[in-house]
Amino acid sequence: MRNPLLTAFALSALLAVPASAQETAAPTAPTALELGASAPMADVPMQGIDGKSLTIAKATGKKGTLVIFTCNACPWVKNWETRIAEVGNAAAKSGIGVIAINPNDPAQNAEDGFDEMKKRAKKLGLRFPYVVDASSDIARAFGATRTPEVFLFDAKGKLVYHGAIDDNARDAKAVEARWLSDAVVAVAAGKPVGESKTKALGCTIKFRKTAS
Amino acid sequence: MRLLLAILVLGVLTGCTPGAERAPAVAAVDPAGPPVIASTGASLMQRARNGAAEVTIVSVWATWCAPCREKFPAMLATSARHEGRVRLLLLSADFDDQVAEARAFLASQGYADTSWIKSEKDQEFIDSVHPQWSGALPATLVFDREGRLSAFWEGSADSARFENAVQKALTPEGGPS
Repeated sequence: MRNPLLTAFALSALLAVPASAQETAAPTAPTALELGASAPMADVPMQGIDGKSLTIAKATGKKGTLVIFTCNACPWVKNWETRIAEVGNAAAKSGIGVIAINPNDPAQNAEDGFDEMKKRAKKLGLRFPYVVDASSDIARAFGATRTPEVFLFDAKGKLVYHGAIDDNARDAKAVEARWLSDAVVAVAAGKPVGESKTKALGCTIKFRKTAS
Repeated sequence: MRLLLAILVLGVLTGCTPGAERAPAVAAVDPAGPPVIASTGASLMQRARNGAAEVTIVSVWATWCAPCREKFPAMLATSARHEGRVRLLLLSADFDDQVAEARAFLASQGYADTSWIKSEKDQEFIDSVHPQWSGALPATLVFDREGRLSAFWEGSADSARFENAVQKALTPEGGPS
């Protein structure tokens, strides 16, 4: 790094994190929150569809906390939304705090706007808050990349499950592994989670541009 | 030695890529769209690494993914600019009952070559395409002549990004193995 040009290049490469995604020589994906970590930016207020502001810290439950990054427009979300409502409502009933967060920029798709969030929550019968990540920074801090994507914290606030709802977006009847539901049951019972990291296809989060 | 050479030549002539499905060499344009063949992620990655082109772009996309559709023109234009040097492998992540939609979309983009559609469950598919891929669509992987991954990104991309990725893969010391 004696060459100043090279140093500048290396620095700019390190600092340049495009809003959409990262691209570097090495295979990279955005760094997601590691298992065992606590929820970042838990004190940042977000506006809920009830008009009230809410933080992740305030949404925390006695037995754990479920953070769901979701939206209205994504076809994968639409496939899963009934199941998201079911597992979220069940988690809330079992003493786990649940918060659904929409990080998408409605400027990129109007369907992801606030009014549609209200309609969707009503239609699905969500018995947990649905809030707006108005800068998309909460999603960035979690290292979330897609919707839907969930992070489940245990009673001590440690991340114990990260990933998908289940293993079949298309067909609820053909689901073989109910990953999130199983994790919720385990956390509510104070037991360790079996599958703690899972993957499924999803829509890239439509991040708002970073303020600079 | 001569025998080994003969085996090698035979292998090349017959196309020794496992699971290779050859598109029929016909010029007729099917109005329903180009052929789309079921494939596992692992099988397509093997093809991507086989060094059959100077640069191979693998694009994992789906008809119902807006950024996937939006990036098509830029991707096809980049590939056309480097005709004969850049190979495009399109891998649809649509559900298996949506092959018709995928073919129709490809036809609407003027794409006439064979492409592929995922034939397995999400998690094994994602991990076999790239262990660090989160599953967000679209996903793009660029390989160089040696079959080394030169670039990987999630999300959409414009012409400049595709062009940069191609140039990087064309550069001999263009990336880590």
